[in-house]
Amino acid sequence: MLDLSQLRAQLDDFQDYEASVRDRRVEQRRRACAVLASCDEQWPKVQAAVEEAQPRRLVAALQEAPGTTTDAPARPTPITVVATDGSQIYPDRHVDPTFFLLNVSRVGFQYGTQDEPLLDSVPRLRFEDDVRDHIDAVLGSMTTELVSALRDEMELEHLLAAAQEGKVEGRPLIALADGTLIRWMIRGMNNEAAEDALIARYTDYLQSFRTAALPLASYVSMPATTEVVNLLRFMVGELDVASPDAFAVSPSKPSLEGLLDRHVFDSVLAPGQRSATFGSTSHIQRAYPEGSEVCYFYLKVPSTSGTTEMARVEVPRWVADERSLLDRIHATVLRDCDKGDGYPLALSEAHERAVIRASEREAFFRLMERRLRRAGLSPTNSRKRRSKQAPRV
Amino acid sequence: MQQDAPIAEVIESSTRQFVAEVYEDVEAPAFGSWVCVEGEGQNMLFGLVSHVETGSYDSNREAVALGLSSEERAEEMPMVQELLRTTVRAQVLACRDREGHVHQTLPPHPPDIHDFVHRCADEHVRALGAPFDFLRTLVEHPDPAVPVDDLLVAVLRRTYEANGAEHGGREALVTAGRALSRLLDDDHERLQSILRRVL
Repeated sequence: MLDLSQLRAQLDDFQDYEASVRDRRVEQRRRACAVLASCDEQWPKVQAAVEEAQPRRLVAALQEAPGTTTDAPARPTPITVVATDGSQIYPDRHVDPTFFLLNVSRVGFQYGTQDEPLLDSVPRLRFEDDVRDHIDAVLGSMTTELVSALRDEMELEHLLAAAQEGKVEGRPLIALADGTLIRWMIRGMNNEAAEDALIARYTDYLQSFRTAALPLASYVSMPATTEVVNLLRFMVGELDVASPDAFAVSPSKPSLEGLLDRHVFDSVLAPGQRSATFGSTSHIQRAYPEGSEVCYFYLKVPSTSGTTEMARVEVPRWVADERSLLDRIHATVLRDCDKGDGYPLALSEAHERAVIRASEREAFFRLMERRLRRAGLSPTNSRKRRSKQAPRV
Repeated sequence: MQQDAPIAEVIESSTRQFVAEVYEDVEAPAFGSWVCVEGEGQNMLFGLVSHVETGSYDSNREAVALGLSSEERAEEMPMVQELLRTTVRAQVLACRDREGHVHQTLPPHPPDIHDFVHRCADEHVRALGAPFDFLRTLVEHPDPAVPVDDLLVAVLRRTYEANGAEHGGREALVTAGRALSRLLDDDHERLQSILRRVL
């Protein structure tokens, strides 16, 4: 039960806070744009200084002037766009035996043709033995981190398969993944062997995209990343390492702390434009095979309601190195966002197909219980779970 | 008798009516046309299509205006067609027993879910002729969501066509008209309005 009347005063505070943040952001953006312009003039020097200083925070690696903007080219037609997304039923501590379910959708559109689309989903039930076969490392428990890592891996595996199946000779293709390609979240499982195994399997799939020459991109909506802002903060001496005075820019206030990359590029880009391409310096990148390290650009996505939204598009280095592929991805993602009202159509369709609805979830649990009970293996459903399912008056 | 390929599949069923999903790439049966569901032996149910509906498969997703030609839609939003389905509701008005006798009354059992639905051939429609008892069920227990007179117009037209149209169809139509007249309590205006629209 939520008592809304009690929230009134707290909402007032929140509103005041948001107004002050907005005012501060305006000043921060102005300053960030000035620093970015200064960086444009001397970016090779800035890049050399960053490499020299090695700040602890993640700083975007420069490969061109960071303030570069590019208009969207026309999308090629026909073109193949494949996408996947995944969802899961997490293991439930209140249910014995422990298991979890992954469900990955596969979407393949042959835009500009009337070919049948690929639209389906593949479920996979996983339990302890099955997971052990997969990762040769001792796992204390099936944590949500592990489930998410296995889901992400399954999404990439099926994206690769969908791209291979959907590929038409002589027709351009892009494979679109949802969310970041940087597996930073895997670190944190407190099990290095398992983490290494998971990263190795993921990067194997990444490498297969390169081997098969299937251009891969991932779409991150409303990214909260700060790598470019960190670069600017490095220039004005706000990071833990000193930067040469040469980079000082006026105005000297306010601090850029709290500013996100998307705030900066929202000021720099016109609707539909993409930013320069940057390299990721995430530590986990060291485990990525050469050529498959992650690069990214920001994209200002218009929507029909007149508002815009910032997105981050990540690509492997071999894709970033080829301008025609970047153009293709830029144009295709933008057109797809137009059709999907601000979010790529192929990904939103993939999401729809991947989602496990409440009724399907219940049907799955009923089926599971019936099967186990019939086999004389009654599942235990803790009293806590049961009381949540059917609260009594 | 050799049947045509099925056009739909039963997804909701009762002795009075059934709902069937029409297969993709198949033209939906017309409003007021006869369809049949074959059972074991000679068993067969005859239903009159009283409602045809196209909409989204997914109750969470509504169809919205796209402003695209059908060609553009197929090329740029290929999932839309996949998300649409057509269903028909048929009123069950007659059945054929194991021996092959047609009874113009409700069947003892409803069709099974997933049973195949076929279009009725002319000879089946002719078997649903005099004394046109099914008209009584139709007039006295109409589907409340369907304008019954329009359904009568459509079913009489089908009777006329199946009996040879201008080469003999009129005779069947006159017989059906007489039956209908009695059912409508000699409401001539209503009867005239129906018959006027048949031909």
